Amino acid sequence: MKNKRYGIFTLLLVLALVFSLTACASEQPAEEPPAEEPQAEEPQAEEPPAEEEPKEPIRIGFFAPLTGPAAADGLSTSNSAELAVEIINESGGIDGRPVELVSYDDGLDTKQAVSIAQRLTTRDDVVAVVSGSYSGPTRVAAPIFQDAGIPMISGYAIHPDVTDSGDFIFSQSFPGQVQGKAGGVVAVDMLDAKRISIIAVDIDFGKTLAAAFKDYVVPKGAEIVSEDYFGMGDSEFAPIVTKLKDEIKPDLIYMANYYGHGAEIVRQLKSQGFDVQVLGTEGIDSYQFFEIAGEDAEGVMITTNMNRDSEDQATQEYIKTYTEKFGIVPDMVGASVYDAFQVLFKAIGEVGTDPELIRDTIKDLKGFKTVTGELIEYAPTREAIKPVQIQIIEDGAYHYYEEIDDLEIITPEPR
Amino acid sequence: MLSQQIVNGIMIGSVYALTAMGATLIYGILRILDIANAGAYAVGAYAGWYMYSVTENILLAFVFAMLFTGIIGVLVQKFIYFPIISKPNVIAIVPLITSVGLFTLTGDMLRLIFGPNVKNMNMTFKINAVEIGNVRISAEWIFIVLLTATLFFVLWFILNKTKLGLAWRATAADTEIAKTMGVNVHISMALSYVLGYGFAAAAGTMVGVLYNSIYPTMGDIPSYKMLAIIVLGGLGNPLGTVVAGIVIGLSETLVSAYFGSIMPRDVIAFVVLIIVLLVKPSGLVTRKNT
Repeated sequence: MKNKRYGIFTLLLVLALVFSLTACASEQPAEEPPAEEPQAEEPQAEEPPAEEEPKEPIRIGFFAPLTGPAAADGLSTSNSAELAVEIINESGGIDGRPVELVSYDDGLDTKQAVSIAQRLTTRDDVVAVVSGSYSGPTRVAAPIFQDAGIPMISGYAIHPDVTDSGDFIFSQSFPGQVQGKAGGVVAVDMLDAKRISIIAVDIDFGKTLAAAFKDYVVPKGAEIVSEDYFGMGDSEFAPIVTKLKDEIKPDLIYMANYYGHGAEIVRQLKSQGFDVQVLGTEGIDSYQFFEIAGEDAEGVMITTNMNRDSEDQATQEYIKTYTEKFGIVPDMVGASVYDAFQVLFKAIGEVGTDPELIRDTIKDLKGFKTVTGELIEYAPTREAIKPVQIQIIEDGAYHYYEEIDDLEIITPEPR
Repeated sequence: MLSQQIVNGIMIGSVYALTAMGATLIYGILRILDIANAGAYAVGAYAGWYMYSVTENILLAFVFAMLFTGIIGVLVQKFIYFPIISKPNVIAIVPLITSVGLFTLTGDMLRLIFGPNVKNMNMTFKINAVEIGNVRISAEWIFIVLLTATLFFVLWFILNKTKLGLAWRATAADTEIAKTMGVNVHISMALSYVLGYGFAAAAGTMVGVLYNSIYPTMGDIPSYKMLAIIVLGGLGNPLGTVVAGIVIGLSETLVSAYFGSIMPRDVIAFVVLIIVLLVKPSGLVTRKNT
């Protein structure tokens, strides 16, 4: 079979191709998938009230991973964007002008995000932009909006590079460094953990949170007894759990990963009979975490920004409307994007559509109520300063456990 | 801890073996590297999930997933691959690129039909786990090992004890000579796709049960990891695929347990592949007659 040797060579060559096509789970794929024109969603313009003269709509750009490995988060955020625009238009738009959403799918691909940003800045005539995407696509798009002088608010990207792009770029959520520190407060100050194991996803998200967590707990006398990093597409955690159970024996596990990973880790802990406190992050703040983990999720704690038990009427209203409209429960990414739109609407409502005035208004915003808690103000790094919520899973839902509003913890450090 | 880790490795290895078996059967006879088999894996998982959510009968779910996906396999073979490979002078890369295209298509079609969110099997087992000494085997694992063993036995029986299997093996050994001996190679090819896609569907459904999640991009990692397994197993050799699956499952588990995160889990399969190809270029298990 002389063809066979040929075959092996072809196979190996092609492995590289297939790998590049499918392994887009990492935030920055090594190879570029075939360049495609970003597909514009149907612009969702709402008709202005009939009795008035039709006014020029205010166009707001939006991008999120509607396809690819993060498509569930993309759906959650685009639902929120749609809801925010629908509600503002029902109440008569901003200053009588309807809001029009210009929405794109970045497929969690940085190259795609660049062409989307170029299109939004050159052809779509948008006033401002909201990112509903992860750190990877958001941080490559941000400098393009900065250069074009168009304000962008990122919903939940945690990488510092996003807002470091310049003064037009804001982040609606606290950075990873604040959340990691808050996780540390929960672990050592509230739960008094001494021996801590870290399990984190090996991308910006997991690494930033794990590093900030360590920086807080180690000086407080806790010991990091093990650290395991795994790939975004991993779903097999039996070896790590066996190691923790039989050898490391931690008294707390800090998980900086997403709901798929988190659910499998807690299921594996249960199945191997290892009873240990698990502390997660906003990455597992999704109803899908319960769906996969079921009862094994009980007692897991997370750091996030939305308090499900909040007495704030707007928050409960948002949860209710979203659930009724889309048939799923909103999560942290969706809520953060919803808030990013509220901030923009407020700024545009106050000063109109001049980009520099919008930027200055957002920068000076103080004490603004959002569905993810009170936005105290933006730090000099243009990242939101707001309380970190500690939620605990009881009876298959997130519930209030504690809130961290100590400014020393929740203020992003200057860079 | 070592004995538990070896059990962990064999368990995940048998999942890998089952996942790669479909592509092995297709490569064995058509010499097509069928990346779209990972698409069949996802389609099968959705078919199994659908049947289970309607009937709550897991066996029915598996049978339905395998039949449904197997039929799709025959259609794909008849209307897509066969017309392509029967053209004169087709180079091997053409059906391969076709299969990559089919794979991308299935992933996005599943997303459009079922949405990007995770679907759950929520299967409950009557027993929780079995403990032998300090080794603990969960109910899911027992179920998976039994099912994999049954499927492999059925496969062995079809290939070795039936006329159809004899024809399949003859076609796999040499299509031209099999043809001159009166073997209907079209039926052998169809059998490859029924079994190949059926096995992929069983693997997808099983992984759906194991991780309690089914989603459109679930075939992404199998699409390249199965390549490492079938090459390691000697290209198109069913027994080799079982051995290779377990070797890779064990390597990944032991590296992850004893060396921590020195390299991403998915890289380990390819490192093992490179080492084995350097030492034994024909793969772990070679056919006696070649």
